[in-house]
Amino acid sequence: MSTAREQIFSSVRAALAPLPERTPRPVFSKDIAEPKWLAAETDSLALFQKRAEATGTKCFTDMDACAFWLRAQAVRVVYIPAPLTRLVALCSEFCEVTSEYSRTRVNEIDAAFTPSAGAIAESGSIILSDESTPDRLAALAPWHHIALVSRAEIHRTIADAIAAMPADPNLIWVTGPSKTADVEGILIQGVHGPGAQACLIL
Amino acid sequence: MAEQKVELFARRLDHGVQKAVHNNSAAGTEKRYSVLGTDYSAPDDLRRLAGQIRQHSIEYLDTYLEQAEQSLKRQGAHVHFAVTAEDACRAVSDILQKAGAKKVVKSKSMISEEIHLNDHLGTMGIESVETDLGEYIIQIDGDHPSHIVKPIIHKNRRDIAKSFEREGLGDYNDDPETITRRARVFMRDKYLQADAGITGANFVSAESGRLVLVTNEGNSRFCLAAPKIHIALVGIEKVIPSDADLAVLLNLLGRSATGQQLTVYTEFINGPARTDRPSGPQEMHVIFVDNQRSQILASDCREILRCIRCGACLNVCPVYRQASGHAYRSVYPGPLGAVLSPLLAGKKFKELADLPKASSLCGACNEVCPVDIPIPDLLLKLRNRGHQEHAPSPGTPPMGAFAKLASSPMLWRFAMKSNKVMNLVPLEKLPLPYLQPWLKTRTLPAWRGGEFRSWMKSRNKK
Repeated sequence: MSTAREQIFSSVRAALAPLPERTPRPVFSKDIAEPKWLAAETDSLALFQKRAEATGTKCFTDMDACAFWLRAQAVRVVYIPAPLTRLVALCSEFCEVTSEYSRTRVNEIDAAFTPSAGAIAESGSIILSDESTPDRLAALAPWHHIALVSRAEIHRTIADAIAAMPADPNLIWVTGPSKTADVEGILIQGVHGPGAQACLIL
Repeated sequence: MAEQKVELFARRLDHGVQKAVHNNSAAGTEKRYSVLGTDYSAPDDLRRLAGQIRQHSIEYLDTYLEQAEQSLKRQGAHVHFAVTAEDACRAVSDILQKAGAKKVVKSKSMISEEIHLNDHLGTMGIESVETDLGEYIIQIDGDHPSHIVKPIIHKNRRDIAKSFEREGLGDYNDDPETITRRARVFMRDKYLQADAGITGANFVSAESGRLVLVTNEGNSRFCLAAPKIHIALVGIEKVIPSDADLAVLLNLLGRSATGQQLTVYTEFINGPARTDRPSGPQEMHVIFVDNQRSQILASDCREILRCIRCGACLNVCPVYRQASGHAYRSVYPGPLGAVLSPLLAGKKFKELADLPKASSLCGACNEVCPVDIPIPDLLLKLRNRGHQEHAPSPGTPPMGAFAKLASSPMLWRFAMKSNKVMNLVPLEKLPLPYLQPWLKTRTLPAWRGGEFRSWMKSRNKK
C-alpha cells in the first residue's frame, strides 16, 4: 500500500507502544445518555409530537389539516411522489402538483412530501434515508418539507434509533427547520434547507 | 515588563467586538448549563464516560483506524492517507483534477482551515465556495474564523452587510434575515453547479465505517445532495469504536456546543450513493490526515486528541471572552487551541509557546469539557516544555543577576555576610514616605544571612 499509510500507521504504533497500559473500553448500558424526563413518557407518539413541535417541526396526523396548512402558506408547486392519491387530490385544489422532482425546477417547487425511514421520539427527529427519499434534494431544497412518518416506525430513544440503523449509504436525522445563529447570535430559520419543516404521521 | 501577546491583542481589541465575543460566549455557556441541568441529574458522570470512550479510542487508534479503513472500503469509499497538511491538500486536488472537477462546495470543517485548503485549491484554479453562512463571510472577507462553532462571532451585521454589498449580493441591508435569504439564493446555484462537495467529519465509526456530520444550516447535506463527488477530510483521531458510542457522544456534542439536544441535521454517511439514485455523490473519498496528530499521540498531551470540537471551553474561558479568537494567532483558539495549536505547529512549537500561558488555570474549561480533557494540566505541561526548549518568555522578569549570585558559592557567601550592613541602616530615617507609617510600628528582623553555613560547618566538625 501507499507510503503515507505505512508512515501514519507506524507513527501511531510507535506512539502507543510505550504506554504501560491502555484505557480499556468502557462498558455502559444503552440508555446511559437518556434524559431524566424520558422515563415518565410512556407514549412514544405523544412524546415525538411534543419534542418535534419544541424544535420547530410541525406535526400533522390528519391529511386535510396538512393540506390546509400548505394552502395557507400560499404554496405554488408541490412535489408528491406517486402513491398518495388522496393527498394529490387535496393539494390539486390550490396548487400545481408534480410527481417528478426535476433539477430544473429546484427553485420553483416550494413544497415536497417525501416518505421517511421513521422518527425518534426522544429528540423529535425525522429519519430520512436514500431508500425512503431517493432524491436527497427533494427533501432539502423546497421551503416546505413534509416527511411522511409511519406510526410504527417511531423509535423511542436516540440509542434505539442508532441500534436500528439500516444499511443505507445515507441516513439523516432532521430535527427542526434549517437554521443559523451566525449573524450576531440571532436565530434565523431556512438557511439552505427548509424554512418550514413538518411531518405527516400516518 | 513585557506583555503577553494575547493580552496585548485583547487590550487593542475594538470595544464592540470584545463585547460581542463576551456576550455571545457567555450566552453559549448559559445555554449549555441549562440544558444539561434540565436533562441529566449527573452530567459529570456522562462527561467522564465520554472522556473514557475517547481516551480508549485514541489509545487503540492503531486498531480502530485500520478497522475504519476496512469498513469504509467495504462500503465502496476510496480511502487515502496524508501525513502533512501539504499532502492532504494535494490529495484533494489530485482527486478533483482526475475527475476534471473545476468547482467545489465546502461545508464547514476545521481541518480544512488547518491545512489551508481553500488557498491551495485557488492556486490550482479550482473554485471552492464555503457554504456555511459564517464561513462564507469569512471567505469573502479574507478573514479567519475566531470561534470553532461560531466563526464570525467577532463580526456584526453592519460588517456583513458591507461585505455582501461589495460582493454584489444586493444593496446594503443589515437585516439578519435578509442576509440569510441572499446567501440561500446565492448558494443554490453554487451547489447545483458544483462538481464535488468537501466536508469534514465529526466522528467515524470503526465498526460500521459510518461518517457522522452535524450541522444546523443544512449546507453539508446540500454538499452531499447535488454534486457527484464527496471528499471527506478527517483527522485520524476522529475514529470511535462503534455506532453505539454515538449515543453518548452525540448527546453531549449538541448540548455542549449550542445547547441543542441534537443539531438540526445529523447525517450518517455509509459510502457513495447507489448509481440509480437521482442525487447523492456516486464517488466517495475519505482522506485521513495525520498532520502532527501521531506526534501528539506520542506526547504527554495526548488527551487533547479526545476533543470533539464543541467550543464549550472557548465560551466559558475568561481569557477567550476578553481577548477573542484571533488573539490566539492560530486556527484553534481558546483553551483547546492553547493546547492544540502549539502541538500542531510541530517544529515551530516555540512560535506559539506563549499560548499555554494565556490562561488563569481557573479550570472552567475542564469542567465544561464533554470529554473531560484535563486542559489545565496540559497547559502546565506545555508551559514546562516551552521553558525546557527556551521559548521566549515575555512575562518573566529578568533573573540574571540573582542566577549569577546563586550559582557561585563564593559570591553567595560574600553577599550573605556583607548584607549584615543592613542591620546598621536606620530604616525609619530613610526618605521613603510610603514606608514610614509601616516602619513606625514594626521593625525588620535582623539580617542573619550566612548563619546556616557557619552552623553547618561547626556541625560537621563535631
